[in-house]
Parts: sequence; C-alpha cells; structure tokens
Amino acid sequence: MNPFQLLQPETLEEALSLLNTDDPSVRPVAGGTALMLMMKSKVFTPHTLVSLQRLKPSLSGIRLDDAGDLHLGPLASLRDVERSPVVAEFTPVITQAMQTLSNVRVRNVATVGGHLAHGDPHMDLPPILMALDARVRISGQAGEREVALPEFLTGYYTTVLNPSELITDVVVPALPNGLSGTYLKYTALSADDWPMCGVAAFVRMQGGVVAEARVAVSAATERPVRLTGVESFLRGRRPAAEAFEEAAELAAAGVHPLADIRGSSGYKREIVKVCVRRALEQALAARTRNGGVAHE
Amino acid sequence: MSKVLESGVPAGTEQGQVGRAVKRLESQAKVTGRAEYIHNLEVPGMLHAKVVRSTIAHARIRGIDTQEAKELPGVYDVITGEDILKVIPDPYYGPAFHDQPILALDKVRHVGEPVAVVLATDVHVADRATDLVEIDYEELEPLFHEVESAKSETTFVHDVIRPAGTFADLKTLQPRAKTNVSMEYHLRNGDLDAAFAKADRVFEHTFRSQQVSHLPLEPIVTLAQLTDTGNLLIHTASQSPSFVRIEVARLLGWPENKVRVRTAYLGGGFGAKLYIKLEALVAALALITQRPVRLSLTMEEQFYTITRHAATVTIRTGVTNDGRIVARDCKTWWNGGAYADIGPRVTQKSGFTAAGPYDIEAVSLDSYAVYTNLPPAGALRGFGIPQLVWAYESQADIIARELGIDPLEFRRKNILRNGRPHATGTVMEDVGTVEVLEELARKMRWDEPFDHGSGPIRRGRGLAIGIKAAVSPTTSVAFVNLYSDGSCGVYCGTVDMGQGSDTAMAQIAADVLGLEAESVRVIHPDTEVTPYDMATLGSRSTFHMGNAVRLAAEDAKRQMVALCAEQTGFAPEALAVQDGGVAAPDGSFFTYGDILARRFGMQAGNVLGVGSYFPYYKKPDATTGMSDHITPYWMVGGSGVEVEVDTETGKVRIVRLVTVGDCGKAINPGIVKRQLSGASFMQMGFTLFEEMVFDEGQVVNASMADYKIPGFWDLPEQNEVSIVEVPHRNGPFGAKGIGETGSLGLSPAVANAVYDAVGVRIYETPLTPERVLRALREQQGRVWGDA
Repeated sequence: MNPFQLLQPETLEEALSLLNTDDPSVRPVAGGTALMLMMKSKVFTPHTLVSLQRLKPSLSGIRLDDAGDLHLGPLASLRDVERSPVVAEFTPVITQAMQTLSNVRVRNVATVGGHLAHGDPHMDLPPILMALDARVRISGQAGEREVALPEFLTGYYTTVLNPSELITDVVVPALPNGLSGTYLKYTALSADDWPMCGVAAFVRMQGGVVAEARVAVSAATERPVRLTGVESFLRGRRPAAEAFEEAAELAAAGVHPLADIRGSSGYKREIVKVCVRRALEQALAARTRNGGVAHE
Repeated sequence: MSKVLESGVPAGTEQGQVGRAVKRLESQAKVTGRAEYIHNLEVPGMLHAKVVRSTIAHARIRGIDTQEAKELPGVYDVITGEDILKVIPDPYYGPAFHDQPILALDKVRHVGEPVAVVLATDVHVADRATDLVEIDYEELEPLFHEVESAKSETTFVHDVIRPAGTFADLKTLQPRAKTNVSMEYHLRNGDLDAAFAKADRVFEHTFRSQQVSHLPLEPIVTLAQLTDTGNLLIHTASQSPSFVRIEVARLLGWPENKVRVRTAYLGGGFGAKLYIKLEALVAALALITQRPVRLSLTMEEQFYTITRHAATVTIRTGVTNDGRIVARDCKTWWNGGAYADIGPRVTQKSGFTAAGPYDIEAVSLDSYAVYTNLPPAGALRGFGIPQLVWAYESQADIIARELGIDPLEFRRKNILRNGRPHATGTVMEDVGTVEVLEELARKMRWDEPFDHGSGPIRRGRGLAIGIKAAVSPTTSVAFVNLYSDGSCGVYCGTVDMGQGSDTAMAQIAADVLGLEAESVRVIHPDTEVTPYDMATLGSRSTFHMGNAVRLAAEDAKRQMVALCAEQTGFAPEALAVQDGGVAAPDGSFFTYGDILARRFGMQAGNVLGVGSYFPYYKKPDATTGMSDHITPYWMVGGSGVEVEVDTETGKVRIVRLVTVGDCGKAINPGIVKRQLSGASFMQMGFTLFEEMVFDEGQVVNASMADYKIPGFWDLPEQNEVSIVEVPHRNGPFGAKGIGETGSLGLSPAVANAVYDAVGVRIYETPLTPERVLRALREQQGRVWGDA
C-alpha cells in the first residue's frame, strides 16, 4: 500500500469542501473494507483520503419518520443495521440478510453508505433496498438531490455519485400492508463467499391472487436490477407452481450474466432461474412466518 | 492388538503421560496473543524487502532498468540477480534439483517469479518502488498442462536440470536435458499382460486434480542478519531449519557452524514452509547490505511461491467377475510448475502407492514429475497421495457398481492385509488397513438402509480408504536436559506449526522420566541450540522425533539412576523412576535436583540425554522400483460422507463426515482427533471449491477475497472422528504419524456419494456446483448454452 494523507473533517460541510477538488485520487473513506483491499492490491492509489468517521454522530441514525418511512444513516455500520429493532420491525428481511453478509468483523466496520456507493453488484443490501423502492439522498456543495436506487446504481462498480458528493440518507418508504418477502443468497464457493446470485422477492396477496410482486436480482448481473417484466407478469395471477416457473423463465431470459471464476454465464442464468422461483415461493410462504432469508 | 477409541472417552493409564489428552502447552499464549511468531519480529536497523515479480509466464530477460526505482526517495537499493552473483556465484537452490535461482537470471519461468528486490526502511516505499522497475522481456512459448509439457520436444522450461543430491531418497536422480520431465519413477511387479489376460473386465479412466494453495494464515516470512563475527543469523517461519542451514551454507561455501537458523511457532505450514523459500534470498540481501533484512510475503504472493501439484492420473484396472482386482496399470503426470521443489519426492513416494491399499497380482506404475510455466508445486498435506487416492478410490466405486458388488464388499475382497507384500515388495507389518475399513463401515452404518430422498434434494453416501508410506530414510536427533533443580528441557528440531508437537514431545519425555507433561519445557528449533532434524513434514515427527525424544529421555534417566545408585549403594535395577525423582527399595526418595546437588555439592550441573533415530530403509531397485523396506511405517485413512445434492443448482452439501485414521497409539487423543478432522476439513475445500484459476499463467483469484477456503458455515452438521490404534513395533509407544491421514480419502468419498445420490460421476476436482450440474444435465441431454 502506498502512503497517503488522511483528512478527518468534523462536519459534513467541511467534508464536502475537501472533496470538492479536481484531483481524482481524493476519495472519501467510511469503513474502508472495500477501499483497503483496492489499495493493498494497488488497484487504487489515493494521495488523500477523507475519513467520514467524525461525521458518525450525525449520519449514523436509524429511525422511522412520521410517515413510517425508514431512514438508514449512511454511516450506520452493517452491524448497527443487523441489530436495530427499528429495522427488524420494519422488515425482518434486512435484519436476516445482514446475518450472513461476509463476517462480523466486516459488518462491524462496513457502512450502509459505502456498501451502496461502492457499486459492487455482489452486495446483499442493494437488491433488497431496490425491491423496497428505496431512495438515496445525496449532498454536494452545489446542493442536495434524491435518486431512486435503480437510477443510483448505473453499472459495474459505477453509480451516479460525483466524486465530490456524499450519501446523506437512505430512505425506504413505508411498506404496504401484507407485503411479505425474502432475500435468497446463492454462493458457489464457500458459504461466506460473495453471492453468485442474490434475489430479493416480495409479494402482496389480495383475493387469492398476486396484487403486487417485487423482484430484484443482483450479483449474477452487472448491477442489481428490478425485474419489472416478471413483476407485471405475476400481477393478478394465482400463486401456483406453474406461474412461478414461468416467472423464473422470464427472469432468466431477461438477465445477462457475466462469466467469472464463480460460474459461466450460462450456469449463472440457470441459477437466476432457480433462485427467482425459490425466492417467490419463499416470499409467499413468509406471509405466515414473517419474512426470512435463505442461504443456498 | 488393535482397538478403537470412541470420541470423548479418555484413554491411557492413570499415571502415564502418554495417552492422556493433555491440553496444548501453548494454548494460553496463543489465545492471549503472546505466542512468538517470526511474523512479529523486528530488529533495529532493519531494511524491508519487496519483490519485483515477473508478469510473464515464460520469457528471456533482455534487460532490467532499476534507475527510476533507485531514485525514489527512501529507497535504499534495488537488487537483481546479477548482484546476487557477487555474493553467491552459483545461486541455484532446491531440495531435489538445483534449478531455482535466488533471483531470475536470463529467464523467467512463471508469472510471479522474483526478478528484483527493492530495499527500504519503510515497507510502503519499497512496495511503491517495485512498480518503477522496468523489465524488458522476449516472450517464449509457455507450457501449462502437465501432459502436454511432458510431450513437448521443442519448448523446454529448463535447458539443463541438475540434481541436488542432498536427501538420501533422491540420490538416484540424474541430470537431464531436452525434456520437461525432471524425474520419472517406474514400478514393475509381476506379469502384467498375463494378469490382465485373466481379468474378466478391464476398466480405464482418467482423473484430474487441480492446483491449490496451502494458504497458511501466517504468510511466509524470513529475517536475516549478520552477527558480530560476520556469521549469519536467520529467523524464519520454516518447517525445516536444519535443511535451511545446510542449503544456505552450501550456497555460500561456508561451514554449517557459520549459519544459525531459528524459528518459533508457525501460523500454519502444510508444506508451504519447507526446504528453502525466502531464506537464500534474504541471507544474500543481508550480506550485500550488511544490514538486517526482512521479507514477509503478502497473502497474494503466497499463491506464486508454492502450491499443490495438479495431476493427471490414468488408471487401468483388470478385475474378475467376482470382484478380485488382478492387474493395475497406472500413469501419473505431476504438474510441478517452473521449479521442481520437492516434486520428485512427490513423484516417487506417491508413485509407488498408486496400487492403493489393495492386494494385486501384477502392478505397473509410472509417475512423471513435469515442469510447466506455472508457480512451483511442492508438498501439501499428503505429498500427492490425495490426488492418487482421488483416482483409485473413485475407480474402485465405478468398478464395484459395474460388477454389481457393494463398494464396501469390493474393498473388503481386495484389502491388503498384514503379512502380504505391497506392490513394492515390502511386506505389510502393523498396518491398520482392515481395522480402518471396518471401523469406517461401522461408523457409516453401511449395512443399514439409506434414504436417498426425493424431490430436488437427493441424498447419497460414499466411502474411500487411502494409504501413504512415511518418507524414508530420515533422521531425528533430540536432547533431553535435566537442569540443576531437576526440571526438564526437551531440545528438538520439530517445528510446532499448530499440530501440537510440543505437547506430544513433552508427554513422551515426561512419561519416560516420571514427570508431568505440563512441567516439561520444549525448546524451539534453533540450529545453534537444538540438534539436527530432517524436517517437520509428511507426518514423520511423532514417529521419528518421538523416538529420538524417547531415547534421549531414557538416556537421561539411565544416567540419573546410575548417579543415584552410586550415591545410595543400591543396584540401578532396584531403583525406580517416578514423580520427578528416583525411589529406592528402602522407601527413600530423591528428586533429580537432590541427586545433582549431592553430586556437585550445591544446586549445579546437568544431566544431558541424547537420542538419535534413523529407521532402516532400502532404496527402490533402479529398474523394477521395488524394495523390501520401502518405508518405516504406513498411514491408513478412511473417509465416509453423507451428502445432499441439489439437483437444480448442482450444489453438494456434506451433512455427515466420518474420518477414521490409524495412529498406532494416540500419544494425545485430543490432538490426534483434531489433526484428523482438520485434515479432513482442509481436503473438503480442495474437494468442493478451492482452485487456483489461471489466465496465461497469472493467478486470477490470488487473494482470500476470491480464493475461498472453508469457514465455519461450511462444516458438516455431523462431524465424527474415530481413532484406530494398531500399534507399530518401532513406533514410540506404538505411535505412527497422523497429520495427513484425514486428507487421504475425502475427495473420492464425496464423489462416490454424489454418484450414489444422483448417478453422475465426476472425474475432476473440485466438485463445484457448476461441474456437478453440468454432468447432471449432460446425462439428461439438456446442457445450457452461453447466456
């Protein structure tokens, strides 16, 4: 690892001002779990890191607002999210997904903001948050903006975040009554490996048919994606095995997996199919057992 | 004579130290972070070294430009192979061949080969400067696959291959040229053609094992410094300090007494820290700079330093319809990478066991050590045996099923029993083949019906048994020192790398001397203090060093008893050693301290016992490969698994794991059990998902983020270990080695269980979900295309 300067601003304004530079090697650092790996392998060699640690008191809260929307502070650690009763009450799917995310040492330091800003498609929270219609609030010296997660994540390790901007809030709208879901994580190598495929699925039933379905796929794809075609296909259908089977075929046809050491593109498409079908079955079953996560 | 120890049942006599589940002597130091590791060592004035590595698999070096790196502020110097020549004119090293240059000269032979070194007091400066060294290459055709490389008549990894002649078992190696086969071993026993003619069925299959990494959690590290008299002191995380001293002294043309090599606890070894790794380079750097130099590899660099052989095994077996194996012809190609390291020993030692634990009328075995342009391969927990067992135990299952015989019954029919000659001609003695197989069958409840399940998750079970010969001939020497107060120090060169050898050696010395194992101090390897030991490898320490420690303790005991006899007037035979002293027939008792105090008139002096162990061995005949004393003892390991196979994803989950090993006598049953299960878990990673993936010789997944090893979530819900004890006549208290036994049979047991579950045969490890699902789909005729 090369030497670098570490700046530790006390306020958000100060941090944004330090980041407002043309120097591409200036980078914010929160937990540092991903950045340190990149620095050690010299994929990234910053001259200056702007630590966000001292902003933690103001940007790490986890709370429900008056409208019932969930706010995840970007500097909340993944462990904070895992242990938050507010999150567990909001949806157990997030809580349980955290429990198999990497390991407790990583979760103790990795942050919600870094998890999203890294743009790595192998993360566990993005597909869940995407299925829950989450928005990301972004601040820069020029002002604030709010971006829905599908627009925030633009590609493989890329987001709409400018180098001079920071995530200041993650907002998950209050869930409609009766929405049950699951996050299904498929690892091809060891159990604590990055997922080769992640599927978040939520369903809401009304009158024996699917009133609403939300499905997001990650890891097998270059970025997490909402499968809107699958969602509209399911709307109004009875939740029978054939419907889920057909939805899974539709999901597989709509994704374009990249081959890597964890699997060929063809194999990953097969896995997307299996995982979407199983996730839908589990999301439906979760109505009676209050959500859940499956690790395959 | 044999018996089986049930898990959790304490064994051994009440007073005896051997057989007692003594807690590790170093447990507290380890869990409180106080245990000494070379990784933590720093000395004043130390320079850090960082290695500039080849980015090309096979190339001539046209030039190296170090100017820019040297000019980076803070850089002390940049060293290339040419600089090494000034202190070591013939800088080629290796345990089997002198083929590996300390830094590349003229050529690079694999990606990651050390080409230059940057030195700086700040390790980060040194690291940054490595990017500034420019190397001009003329690329050559690379060779990656062992079978293709063995056939090549135009491209050669080495122009000449020079044998080392250091180890007795490798003395027969010959110089070679115009070939990539550095060494070959052939065994011919019986009339093969006649035996195949008797066979009703002949089966031929080819199996492959992938290249994997040892990945000890403490990466390889060495620190070298010059002493006040200009001698070398090398602190190194090494499994073989004695060999390091011999080899560094040879390279420098110095006597051994000018080189001191010491080590501490190792954070894992598994064969990665054997022979010479960084020591010659760091010693040369200390001589060039006249300053202490430290080189500590990163996790990533470990993948380019030493690996386990990928191997291709083609095995042809003739059987009668009633299930007797009558003939076997086995050819193995070992992918040794760019430098032979200990590959020739893997080739020979594994080569001669390819007939397996079976009694076969005629056997022909051929085993080839092959150079390629991949990172070097050496010993990894089993010296190549797991790759061979993968082939012969997978095939045993195929044959049994084809013949309609139960796989266990098939093995029972063919098992090699004591009193019968092994394929090498060595008659089996005190070997637990039958006992291990029967215990495995009992633990697996093989005679009970088994539910294979229905729906997408199918269940299967499989078993396998493997045999390994201990490396021979090798020597261990130990001192047992009774200090002036009667307390005891054991001086031995066995390196405790996590296997618990300190505790076992303390138990052996304590048992002989009537002490508590916990009160014995084991002095760590330091060639200036501890006597010679061949190395900590191949499950040899308990047998060889255990014998040396036992003999040294008996020598000390004899001297102490003689002193006491002199002092009391009793005959030595009338005196008994117990509770840290000597008891006389009149009821009087003298501590060892009392005896020494009476001898020297005050608390003073020592009693020093010396033990040396060197088992009998006869090298294999040059033409037939046979020997009537090929090994001092055999290790037998059996593995059984119950698996669940997800037929929609191909994922294999081991739900029940049974590991059975014959250890002769469990000096410490707790440690034996954990060695067996630890080896089994390690092999589970190699079986299910670990694999070094290459792109033009570069390791694509050279990090722990992408090269995954098993974690707690991967362990089977049910993990059972059985210790079988078939005492060995020459073992200390009957003991044999156990460190690799759990590795032997696991891979084929899993593949056999997968077949039992879903009816597909996998011929190549690892059994990744994709490989299993592809095989299933091929059987169904519906394989996917590219997405």
